[in-house]
Amino acid sequence: MTETDVECAKQDEPSQVTATVEIFIMGKRYDVPIGFTIMKAIEFAGYQYIRSCGCRAGFCGACATVYRKGQEQKLHFALACQCLVEEGMYLVQIPFVPANKALYDINDLAPEDNTILTIYPEIARCVSCNTCTKSCPQDIKVMMYIQNSLRGNIAKAAELSFDCIQCGLCAMRCPADIKHYHVSQLARRLRGKYIDPESKELNARLKELEEGKYMDEVDEMMSMDRDIILNLYKKRKIEAQGDLDEGADA
Amino acid sequence: MKIIDGYPDYMMESIKLVEQKREKNLKIDVPALTMEGREKVLKAYHPDFMDSTKREVKLGPNKGEMIYNGIVDLLESKSILDTKSVDLTKIHYDVDILIIGGGGAGTVAALFAHEVGGVPKDKILITTKLRHGDANSMMAQGGIQAADRPVDSPTIHYLDIYGGGHFTNKPELAKALAMDAPRIIKWHLDLGVMYDRMENGEFQELSGGGTSRNRMHSAKDYSGMELMRNIRDRARNLEIPVLEFCPIIELLLDDQGIVSGGIAFNMETDEYYVIRSKVTILATGGSGRLHLSNYPTTNHYGATGDGLVMAYHAGANLKDLDTIQIHPTGDAYPEAVVGILSTEKIRGLGAIPLNKDGDPFVFPLEPRDVESAAFIQECKKGKGLVTPTGMPGVWLDSPMIDIIHGKGTIETKLAGEYRKFKRFDIDMTKHPIFVYPTYHYQNGGVEINEKTETALPGLLAAGEVTGGVHGKNRLMGNSLLDYNVFGRRAGLHAAEYIKTRNVGKLSLKHIDDYNKKLDELNIKSDIKAPILLPEYRGKEVLARALDIL
Amino acid sequence: MDMLYYPGCTLKTSAKNLEASAIAIAEKLGYKLVEMDDWNCCGVVASLTSDDLMHHLASLRNLIRVEEQGQDKVLVLCDMCYNTLKQTDIRMKASQSDLDTLNSFMDEESDYKNTVKIMHFLEFLRDEVGFATLKKKVKKPLKGLRVMPYYGCMLLRPREVAIDDAEDPRILSDLIKALGAKVVDNPYKIECCGSYRTIDQKELTSRRAKSISSYASTHDADLIMLSCPLCQYNLDVRGKEAESMYDGYSQLPTLYFTQLIALALGLDVESLGLDSHAVDPAPILRKRGVID
Repeated sequence: MTETDVECAKQDEPSQVTATVEIFIMGKRYDVPIGFTIMKAIEFAGYQYIRSCGCRAGFCGACATVYRKGQEQKLHFALACQCLVEEGMYLVQIPFVPANKALYDINDLAPEDNTILTIYPEIARCVSCNTCTKSCPQDIKVMMYIQNSLRGNIAKAAELSFDCIQCGLCAMRCPADIKHYHVSQLARRLRGKYIDPESKELNARLKELEEGKYMDEVDEMMSMDRDIILNLYKKRKIEAQGDLDEGADA
Repeated sequence: MKIIDGYPDYMMESIKLVEQKREKNLKIDVPALTMEGREKVLKAYHPDFMDSTKREVKLGPNKGEMIYNGIVDLLESKSILDTKSVDLTKIHYDVDILIIGGGGAGTVAALFAHEVGGVPKDKILITTKLRHGDANSMMAQGGIQAADRPVDSPTIHYLDIYGGGHFTNKPELAKALAMDAPRIIKWHLDLGVMYDRMENGEFQELSGGGTSRNRMHSAKDYSGMELMRNIRDRARNLEIPVLEFCPIIELLLDDQGIVSGGIAFNMETDEYYVIRSKVTILATGGSGRLHLSNYPTTNHYGATGDGLVMAYHAGANLKDLDTIQIHPTGDAYPEAVVGILSTEKIRGLGAIPLNKDGDPFVFPLEPRDVESAAFIQECKKGKGLVTPTGMPGVWLDSPMIDIIHGKGTIETKLAGEYRKFKRFDIDMTKHPIFVYPTYHYQNGGVEINEKTETALPGLLAAGEVTGGVHGKNRLMGNSLLDYNVFGRRAGLHAAEYIKTRNVGKLSLKHIDDYNKKLDELNIKSDIKAPILLPEYRGKEVLARALDIL
Repeated sequence: MDMLYYPGCTLKTSAKNLEASAIAIAEKLGYKLVEMDDWNCCGVVASLTSDDLMHHLASLRNLIRVEEQGQDKVLVLCDMCYNTLKQTDIRMKASQSDLDTLNSFMDEESDYKNTVKIMHFLEFLRDEVGFATLKKKVKKPLKGLRVMPYYGCMLLRPREVAIDDAEDPRILSDLIKALGAKVVDNPYKIECCGSYRTIDQKELTSRRAKSISSYASTHDADLIMLSCPLCQYNLDVRGKEAESMYDGYSQLPTLYFTQLIALALGLDVESLGLDSHAVDPAPILRKRGVID
């Protein structure tokens, strides 16, 4: 390995461990540095992830974690990459969620009152216990989007569920065996495809492209000498700087 | 060590200096660098301009060319695969199309090969190292570029791409990117993607760095996730076969030297599978987790450049891997968000970078590479701070925003950022945030043409693993577009290609030859490639590790 | 005057015409029905069939929403929802320990304080608006229209939740008279419509619809008036299906009380969803001169 000139540390190797907290990974005790996320603490303790680790930035839902602290009665839910270790945490990650997804062809559906209920009839079993909402590391109103799906308000279910990262904790906790995150995926697709309006500008551009417009322009640009295209590039009008107010250069 | 308002006490000491000088700093204008000044700081501190970050690769198609050290390290290591332990007479999966990588590019390729190309789903196989959809594709926040407004055109988009890439892009690839973009957006709408809209139904389109028109289509700040989960849902509904936690570790050639599949490795059971295919699509993504030049990264866990290595072993050439894209304002504290991006908009709204003494040192809105280099310079001069976990960085004085634009500006205009820091008890309306450049994107990769063909027959490639689309610098919003445009083209071309393909006898001889060449050149390495996963285990633990199981 | 109401899922799907007509007549009577925020399913009759306290969560959560919205009264249009919410209300008022248990389970909610009065929309019309007042507002008396009232179960059973005398209810008859129509009284009015057997035993439900409707027909009723969306579905949809099971049988149309009130108040016919019935009520309404 070659040393490089930039002497910044890799993000995952602490230069020195100052203070530690005691945590229990699947029941086994480890001392890990204060200020570490659960994910990095588990790695520090010597585990190399295959499962339960994905984007490491709170987008992918791979690192769903459940934990209790000390003698606390309450179970907590978090993303291992987004939650710092605390003294006395005992925790486990959920490597996989056995939540079967319904198969459908979005092209054969219509955004009707009972579309979601027909594909996921188990949503009618919701007793409004709200355990799903309490288990969501994204603070999504999970029960409310299920309730909106149940009464056919697809647009609202899509909106409420938008920030879902599909970690599956809701489905693991539901006493009615609902697969919430699959339900909301359907709601969002129905909305995006059928409920949100058409873009007239996009359709117009597609028609132009179909007719072969712009092909010659781009080909001409591709054959330009570097000096000529460099000059063209420098002279571009920048919309964000208000250059277009005097008329576009297209 | 005490934590006060989310920061350790010694960092809070430095924040006090920032606060004392804030009123004065608000009145100071640090002048922008001259062209010569920019060049000087870039040459001295940007990793692309430093000889020590790169070296000549000693073998293979790119022999003698400069490539980042971390990638050369892999190219100059022996294969992770012991070819003697593989029996090529037993085929475990026999398919028409093998797709390596279950991120955006691979999944899009599968959908187009099946739905448009008419390849039966059972003749397609996606293999992926982590879960289907675990990819940088999932993480993009900003959005995707497409010229669909009347004041814009694919021609203007082309010029932005080509100029932004310092005219080093392959023109036919830049053309494909610009021309295909509108149809990609339409395809997304047909899948059910929820793009941000205005009341009249048109898209809310924003400007991005280096783009001359507002053409960034977004889905809140979850654009990448919204695209990936829709594309993946379509693939799941169509029951496209996916092997998870089974990365391809080497490609297979046939006796004609044509790529004919790969060896998959089941990371959970340690067994291998021989996969024979008529065509192979490489879609393994980027390499942020190689921490090139020791940078933290915005990339996902699996971004270890596997595709570059296996393609190179088989004889494909690489392009533009002497550059990487770093972004100046990666988070450097708290530890939990190190490497994650803090948007450029924070500086746009008036926050300025300050050193540990609370003094400004650079014009806040230099181009990204220049701004990054200036941050690195300040830290090298000892004017930065180091976090308890060893990350250097400088302050970005976010409270200035509310002073300039009025209370509440941060919470409304930077709602996502505000929430991110709030999670760790840091209130960016009261205290500055701590930043350092982060490795964001692998500009180059395996060279392709507009049909996504590589130099190797039988091997197509799409997405971040490829080189040529963006040249030596990628513009914001073109990576989501890239994987869609070239994923689609790869899927369509694959469906054509397989019609006339007959696979000969499978071989791994190229691996043996490569290893032999390393020996001949007396190149030694203590790693094997591809590495599949980054090593983040604690040093003390590794020091005590026994290799007995 | 604003009146908070709880719609329930059925009113958002198969009984949109009940909601639309209720809103329209309330407006005519000087009230604005305001849909409560963030409501969830009432919990349906699950809370009747067992002593499982957890099934009251759904109901109770809605009552907490009402308190949160600063109200002490909520109107309910759907009989099933009314019955479910009312059962929870009664149980919570009777047992502080049950309430404590649920309050502590819902640690993310503010505690329910037992302050909400639950009222069926029919009760509201009778007790707060007054049928006499209603009668005065009638623009087009339903003269000559012969209407059979039908209560089903949910308004009257169990006795504790009943909005009227459980054995001999008069509220619907009184309403029919106030609208100027003729009441066709009948022994089937408090019989069950078949309820949820409509899902697994369609034919049984069709037979029940037939018995109820046949009595009405032989006593020269023009249509059946009711308030429950499930009864309406069974008498209308399953009744229509009975026509193919029995030669020459013809099912009577079924209308919500709100639709008939709306017609008598002279409201716009188009907005009442008369076209969403399996058995079209338009011909008989036209014949009796109620609509053009």
